[in-house]
Amino acid sequence: MNAIFLTLSAVTVLGAVLAVSLRNLVHCLLALVLFFLGIAGHFFLMRADFLGAVQILIYIGAVAVLILFAIMLTRNIAGTEGARRALGGAWWLGVGVSAALAGLMIAMTRRSELASKMPYGATEEGVVKDIGKLLVTDWVVPLEIMAVLLTAALIGAVVVALEETKKR
Amino acid sequence: MPDGVALTLSVLLPIGIVLGVFLTIFALLTWAERKALGRIQNRLGPNRVGPFGLFQPIADALKLLTKEDIVPQAADKVVHFLAPVVTVAPAFLILAVVPVAKGFVPVDLNIGVLFALAVSTASVLALFMAGWASHNKFSLLGAMRAVAQVVSYEVPMVLAAVVVLMAAGTLSSVGIVEAQRGFGGWFICKPWGLVGFVIFQLCAMAEVARTPFDLPEAESEIVAGYHTEYSGFKFALFQMGEYVAALTMGGITVTMFLGGYLGPGSDLPKIGWLVSACWFFAKLGIIIIINIWARGTWPRVRVDQLLGFAWKMLLPLSLVNIVAMALWHFAPNKIAGWLVSAALLVAAIFGLVKINAGKAFEKRSYRFIS
Amino acid sequence: MSVPLGYYLVLGAVLFAIGLCGALTRRNAIAVLMSIEIMFNAAVLNFVVFWYYLHNGALTGQVFALFAIAVAAAESAVGLALVIAVYRHYKRVDVDEMRSLKG
Repeated sequence: MNAIFLTLSAVTVLGAVLAVSLRNLVHCLLALVLFFLGIAGHFFLMRADFLGAVQILIYIGAVAVLILFAIMLTRNIAGTEGARRALGGAWWLGVGVSAALAGLMIAMTRRSELASKMPYGATEEGVVKDIGKLLVTDWVVPLEIMAVLLTAALIGAVVVALEETKKR
Repeated sequence: MPDGVALTLSVLLPIGIVLGVFLTIFALLTWAERKALGRIQNRLGPNRVGPFGLFQPIADALKLLTKEDIVPQAADKVVHFLAPVVTVAPAFLILAVVPVAKGFVPVDLNIGVLFALAVSTASVLALFMAGWASHNKFSLLGAMRAVAQVVSYEVPMVLAAVVVLMAAGTLSSVGIVEAQRGFGGWFICKPWGLVGFVIFQLCAMAEVARTPFDLPEAESEIVAGYHTEYSGFKFALFQMGEYVAALTMGGITVTMFLGGYLGPGSDLPKIGWLVSACWFFAKLGIIIIINIWARGTWPRVRVDQLLGFAWKMLLPLSLVNIVAMALWHFAPNKIAGWLVSAALLVAAIFGLVKINAGKAFEKRSYRFIS
Repeated sequence: MSVPLGYYLVLGAVLFAIGLCGALTRRNAIAVLMSIEIMFNAAVLNFVVFWYYLHNGALTGQVFALFAIAVAAAESAVGLALVIAVYRHYKRVDVDEMRSLKG
């Protein structure tokens, strides 16, 4: 398990690092897809099969395509992105802050006693039937709220991005 | 033999067998399709390269392998190289959950069908990568249309699969096949199963961009769409990806609606696996024949007709299908269940066709012909 | 065979920090949205890790992660629509140049 965990983590971290540092946006997106695949791999490794499949379905199948269309529709009209700098003005401040946050979080996890817990011996797989049952019995109100939220997001996204037709 | 070697072999052997069998079927499929299309179009099809043109796939492969690999100068090299790879990979990955014979599925995932649907949605990226990387307006246009088409037809496909999952109660592909045991147990024999099969087959044809939905690569319309700038082996990979994806989606259709490897004689003790494999490939052959027949018979649809068909016709029909299945399942006795669900589906089909039909053509009047 | 919990928490922290770094330093609005997706995914990974290691009996952890993924997808859809609307007005998506609230 250790070797698989290290490989998957290396792929995930590589994808994330490339996604925030590459200059060409489409290459960033492909690195992001690699990152999503790494996270899905971690879900499969932790026997959360349904979540791994949902991760692939939603993130790679839908969110990545959405970002792709947005990149397509907001391309710079006057030439490519190459001439501009990829990073903002005080980029070293951003890097410093995130490095400090990472250091703080890692130090806190090292200190806690939870850090050395191992998973249970024979873990049950997350059976889809049980998740479905939970969704319609215990968590039916969040499910309905989620449906309303998704509908609102769908309609809102379409309305916001619609071309305004000039009415005379 | 030592433990590690046995483990490796038990993983590699099914993969090798499935890959070998399906690649051979792919090669034969290209030949069969060209022959069948030729016959439908009143011509002979390839008949030069061997008896009945049987070596035509080998000739095609050799030609494509020895062609020069041209990459446009302004193209994005990395993405241009990766696009054929990302096309082919999902097509083969789904084969891992298709049960080809009794007790013979490479990986029996608990979420088999969901995995297949998720991986088939991931193939959208490859289309866009190919169109974008070629730095060519026609390619980009073909890629955008292909992405719109694939994304639109995913929704009715998943909803048509939901009906089968409701009936089988499990997402595992082997479980779905086992739930279709018994005489008349195939899901296509039930009213909601028939409608679901038609919806799923149409959506599968649209997902792999076969005619009549092959607008993304229409030769007479936008040169070759998103694979205009590809030549040689990369073009061969695109073709292979498309055909193997058609085969794989056919395999999923057979598993979900036609009873997989079940048939009389598939439970025999010694040779049961062979009989069940023959049944599976016979049913897959029927799906392939339907695909080729549709390709030869129907004209290509326009892009607005394409998207309208998915959103205005197939999506409401698949939602009504789910309701019809629920009515069938919870009806007090069988006859009532059959009648009610069949009536609901027929009414829905009529209603939707009525709503979506354009104006009827009025009788034309010509000026100089009385 | 399996790894202790601490390894996964370190992985989640590192991924979150990388996402934060991208959100703070990149100029293109879509790159900022991509970094926000990285942060979301790191958080969902944390949810699933805690489910796997501590509360494996109940499936509530997976249900929560499912809701989080759905909310993230909705948020990215609306965020990208906003970016497209802003592009139509400013003709570029540079976050350094969008300073004024008045259009």
